[in-house]
Amino acid sequence: MTDATNTAPLTAPVPEAPAARPTRPAVEFARSFAANRPALFGLVLLIAILCMTFLGPLIYPVNPYDIVDMPFAPPGGEYAPLGTDYVGRDILSGIINGGRATLAVGAAAAVISVVLGILMGALAGFYEGPIDAALMKVTEFFQILPTLLLAMVVVTVFGSNLYTITAAIGIVSWPQVARLARAEFLRIRKLDYVEAARTAGARNRYLIFRVILPGALPPLVVAAGLSVGSSILFEAGLSFLGLGDPNTMSWGLIVGQNRNYLLDAWWTVTLPGVAIFLTVLAISLVGDGINDALNPRLRRR
Amino acid sequence: MTALRTKALAALAATSLAALSLTAGPALAQSAPKDGGTLVMGTVGVPRHFDGAIQSGIATALPSTQIFASPLRYDKNWDPEPYLAKSWEVAKDGKSVTLHLVDNAKFSDGTPVTAEDVKFSIETIKKYHPFKTMLAPVTTVDTPDKYTVVIHLAHPYPALLLAMSPALMPILPEHVYGKGDIQTNPANLKPVGSGPFKLVSYKQGDSYVLEKNPDFFLKGRPHLDKIIVKIFADPENMVLAVQNGEVDVAPLLSDVRDIQRLEKAPDVTVSNKGFEAIGPINWLEFNTKKKPFDDVRVRQAIGYAINKKFIVDRLLGGVAKRAYGPIAPGSPLATTDVNHYDYNPKKANELLDEAGLKKGADGTRFTMTVDYIPGSVDIGRNVVEYMRSALRQVGIKVEVRTSPDFPTWSNRISNYDFDLTEDDVYNWGDPVIGVARTYLSSNIRKGVVWANMAQYDNPKVDKLLNEAAVEGDPAKRKELYAEFQKIVVGDAPILFLNTVPFAIAYKKGLENVPAGIWGSLQPWDNVYWSKKN
Repeated sequence: MTDATNTAPLTAPVPEAPAARPTRPAVEFARSFAANRPALFGLVLLIAILCMTFLGPLIYPVNPYDIVDMPFAPPGGEYAPLGTDYVGRDILSGIINGGRATLAVGAAAAVISVVLGILMGALAGFYEGPIDAALMKVTEFFQILPTLLLAMVVVTVFGSNLYTITAAIGIVSWPQVARLARAEFLRIRKLDYVEAARTAGARNRYLIFRVILPGALPPLVVAAGLSVGSSILFEAGLSFLGLGDPNTMSWGLIVGQNRNYLLDAWWTVTLPGVAIFLTVLAISLVGDGINDALNPRLRRR
Repeated sequence: MTALRTKALAALAATSLAALSLTAGPALAQSAPKDGGTLVMGTVGVPRHFDGAIQSGIATALPSTQIFASPLRYDKNWDPEPYLAKSWEVAKDGKSVTLHLVDNAKFSDGTPVTAEDVKFSIETIKKYHPFKTMLAPVTTVDTPDKYTVVIHLAHPYPALLLAMSPALMPILPEHVYGKGDIQTNPANLKPVGSGPFKLVSYKQGDSYVLEKNPDFFLKGRPHLDKIIVKIFADPENMVLAVQNGEVDVAPLLSDVRDIQRLEKAPDVTVSNKGFEAIGPINWLEFNTKKKPFDDVRVRQAIGYAINKKFIVDRLLGGVAKRAYGPIAPGSPLATTDVNHYDYNPKKANELLDEAGLKKGADGTRFTMTVDYIPGSVDIGRNVVEYMRSALRQVGIKVEVRTSPDFPTWSNRISNYDFDLTEDDVYNWGDPVIGVARTYLSSNIRKGVVWANMAQYDNPKVDKLLNEAAVEGDPAKRKELYAEFQKIVVGDAPILFLNTVPFAIAYKKGLENVPAGIWGSLQPWDNVYWSKKN
């Protein structure tokens, strides 16, 4: 790894010299992100989805629980442009209004998993020794449990509402973040500037959160972004199995409640499924773009 | 034969295929029944054991009605027919019933069926069967001779004859089941009966095999050699198995999509005839002791706010029938002369206003939870989801509460931790058996599922039910039950929605498929293959 960072500048400066004279990292980050076509596409898509979710209800004010037409009216009908579900509710309105809960669950679950993961990983990586061993054993314990099953058990025991679902997803998906954070901490804590801070008398807490963490953040930010995507998929999976919150409209819920009718009414499952797909795709592309833009070696390519 | 039928098909191209198969059925049935053949049955019910004398429910009744014979059986017009009893008399005062048994019936271990066995069975059922009211009026059973049984009753009890159906009164051999505690008797799993078939093997939760009983007392029956019953983990797999021909008959379908899917399958006939005696009704049950549902106006308002026609025609695809009251349509005692609660949101709003439940700033009057039996999709979840939309129109916010499994649901409801729940409850023949339990104030028993869980308490209803139970005159009895239905529907502790759409699907070529009031829960001794594919 260190070899690679050392060799990179040797090959890079010649073609990049005029363009890359970065004074502020944020500007350079934006420039490099903008040059990444897929990432830009992902960002546009993500913004479009966010607009649909937050402004959509104002433009298309149909209540997702209103019966607007016969059950299973196909798309293109007079009352429901994207068809209706098994009760006769508007699928389009369901997609527009269901986005909020889906995105909220995804984001909140990602926050839980990232905070938990960083905390565990940082402590393990910083202190090493027995603390590291103990914390990593706990992490491994969670890692070997089948995540979906564990989440199903949590939701079954504590009830199907958005809070337990979010907590369940967060609880099962933090170990990856913890592993990543630990690796970063192990690497950074031996760097000179950390040693310098330590000799200057910085306390451990200061070292962890003020000195090492900022340096470790870039890969963790990417991991957080991607875990939003996987949390959305997770929520959809739980809903598909009938464990979604029946009182909150979400994409997963539409898919899950209509799955018995896939053969009779494809649009009820397919369209919210497409919404989930596009969202996760957008988040992944943006996450990749951020990763590329933050990674100095890839940036110079 | 095949050529002929093909020609007929071409000639009747305009007629629907379904109609043709209905007319072709009886025509074929007229030819003499053929003996032999194996029938593969598919079901989703796992029987705990095979002893229908101490266990209610469909999963046990299906095999129990094949393995055990009963005193009487029923045709499709609710008329009793001789079975183990070749004749019977009800005393003038209605206080005793005399059965004259056939003298050639034998249990599958070779011992003859005698009056003592009938006496033993009646006493066992009275003591152990979950339907406590069913034989409650029976005081003593006399056996003047080997083939005569006299059942003495505390009062006239017209429901007794229906209680002697195969699904409710299997006759057990006393020398097998009379030893030790019957609940743990090994014969519950290795039954000995006098029915048309006998159990030869049971793989718990997987399948069981019934074989022709060669000593069956009705000569020339049964026609089938063997019935293999495959137990499926879920209805979807069972329906697939019927579609691809792996299973010949699915005797107890109740899912709308399954029924519609099999109606489209070639070589499969779907029939919803019969089943009236099982009488399953899907309804919404209030916690009538909880505010605001203790107010009859609130309950009625919710009744008016729900479009039953939409539920029956749209959600249930027209497969189910509308149910208007506590007695299932099809029963001779059922009446439709009750308040129908036809969809009327305006009236619902008025009633709610009257009850003092004004709309808040956001248009909501109050929030209520609605439960449903887990796993029931068409008549449960979909109806409840519909209610969420429908009740929003009158300012009631519905919060659907799901239960991960049946015990969770039954614990919540039977301990009165609910506002409203979807529930489907079976009539089981006479109202005394399956109807009264839901409305008698004496049956408000905390923790008991399918007791009076609405905690409905109306002395007038108690009186009517108790009078009707002992009324010997059929016309008067019908009147009493008619009034009972009127009052209960008016008081609305329960909002009646629809019948559960029971149906039987079977391969073409299978004849005399049971269509009596008990549907598939009757002896399959007359069923035969005219042509097995």
